Amino acid sequence: MIPLEGHIGDFGMDTISLAGPLEAKLSAIRDAGFTQVMLAARDLAGHQDGWRGAVAAVKASGLRVTGFQVLRDFEGLSGHLHDYKVDIAKSMLEMCQALDCRLMLACSSTSVHATGDRDALVRDLRKLAMLAIPMNIKVAYEALSWGRTVNEFPQAWDLIAQADMPNLGLGFDSFHLFATKTPLEDLELLDPGKIFLVQLADFMWNEIKSVEERITTARHFRVFPGEGVHSQALAELTVKLHQLGYRGDYSFEVFNDDYQQMPLETVAQRARQSALWLGESVLRRSVPLPNQMRLKQAPRR
Amino acid sequence: MPIANSPETERVLDREAIVDGPNPLGLEGVEFIEYATSKPQALGQVLETMGFRPISRHRSREVLLYRQGAINIIVNAHSSGTALTQAPVITAIALRVRDAAAAYRRALERGAWAVPARVEVMELNIPAVHGVGASRIYFVDRYKEFSIYDVDFTPIPTVDQHPPALAGMHLFGVVQYIGNDRTEDWTEFYSELFGFSALAAEQRFGILPKGRILRSPCDRFYLQLIEPEPGVLDLDDDECLQRLGLGTADVVATVAQLRARGVEFVASKVGDIDSRGALTRSLMGGVMFELVHDERAQA
Repeated sequence: MIPLEGHIGDFGMDTISLAGPLEAKLSAIRDAGFTQVMLAARDLAGHQDGWRGAVAAVKASGLRVTGFQVLRDFEGLSGHLHDYKVDIAKSMLEMCQALDCRLMLACSSTSVHATGDRDALVRDLRKLAMLAIPMNIKVAYEALSWGRTVNEFPQAWDLIAQADMPNLGLGFDSFHLFATKTPLEDLELLDPGKIFLVQLADFMWNEIKSVEERITTARHFRVFPGEGVHSQALAELTVKLHQLGYRGDYSFEVFNDDYQQMPLETVAQRARQSALWLGESVLRRSVPLPNQMRLKQAPRR
Repeated sequence: MPIANSPETERVLDREAIVDGPNPLGLEGVEFIEYATSKPQALGQVLETMGFRPISRHRSREVLLYRQGAINIIVNAHSSGTALTQAPVITAIALRVRDAAAAYRRALERGAWAVPARVEVMELNIPAVHGVGASRIYFVDRYKEFSIYDVDFTPIPTVDQHPPALAGMHLFGVVQYIGNDRTEDWTEFYSELFGFSALAAEQRFGILPKGRILRSPCDRFYLQLIEPEPGVLDLDDDECLQRLGLGTADVVATVAQLRARGVEFVASKVGDIDSRGALTRSLMGGVMFELVHDERAQA
């Protein structure tokens, strides 16, 4: 019998789910059968050999970098705060490019210094995307469920649509969708070609009552898809995204304090079970081409 | 109410110094194109067969200015930091603009990357932003009463500083190779930062009608963006400025003149030379020029 492992290539782990040094995380992820990894800027900045050393370790691992996270609180600032954030964004883009990573994640601002003025937010998102164009990087803009002005994906989508930059799209995190109970039908607003990344996570309780509890849950108590009480909803979400035409990557965005103190292999195996469940039982995508070969699509007629 | 007192207006003025029109930078064509190579004499020979003449030397660096008609080409063999390759690379396009400082600020405000200036004492600080690959886009506003070359270059004695263009050739455009699915990205880049606009897909020039053509807001030159062929493996997505297009009113006659000087051309599909355009044979690992039929008078 042929083991059903072809689908695992659609899914990736995130280094934030694992404890320890970068190399150990990369090995554990690769040994569990994953071919891609979501990296955080901290993985590079905190590396013992400096960020260039971290880039070399990532390249040596053979893992494809799903995306690079996360630029926070970028949009809506003015004056020196804006200039400062532009410098931060440029540093992150340079690290992202060094990784040969084509996607940087930016999450909606939580800053009390940021304006909610729509035109200002759009102008800043356009600027961020423009900074990324020469580097061949796409920017996935994600609605944090505790974002100050933008906290649900339809709001993020409105700004993305108004900004109308070819390399600016939506980063989609199932946690925030479930936390705000945004209706699944709202997904039909989206152009699947402009969904640049889908991050999946489950959690253990049904209700999140306050914003504070939302933040705590998001940062400490997430579990892999299939491990929590929202498995059915996650299954519906991924099927819906597939029906809409999304064919991009899925990354497990699982912040969990318990996983931070377990052996890396144990956590990676849990992630693997999650990927197999989603890939084989839920999505049933066709097996990808070997070696991540990506052929250019013929122009659409 | 005085408009300047409104916080909204102040915010806009804070970010935007220029009122946008169809030509937001006051673009007026290309001041120069720069090549970098570790073989400047060999490239110089190629340029001379194409009708260019060396007219000036840089005061402090191994840099030579070639000219014919209104086309200026700078050959830079001064390695600063990164090693030069033998195969010449187009490393810069200098745009003539109304106000270089304002154009530079406007580009940065919209998300261009500044190129740090590396000027020597008494040299001009020409502002630049990053373009495709390792290339730069300079902004030049001194091209009327006196030129940037008056400051940084010394004329080569006895050489005509304004050699006429061979067969009336003028700069028609620059071809840029881009990665897969990058046409929209680069179209946005050139339209947002410099005011270029995409031509309709059926509007074509010359003999190599691929990709997307962008027209400069001054209507003096074009950029042509070319992706890899469909079905080609997306291995490395190298992007670069690939070749210059030179406009001429009579392609066949220009080809004959250039052939007499030793320039070789790639055979066209319709017999010897197509009156719409011609492509020179690649030399030095990639230097080529495309002739394009263009009735417009030399700019």
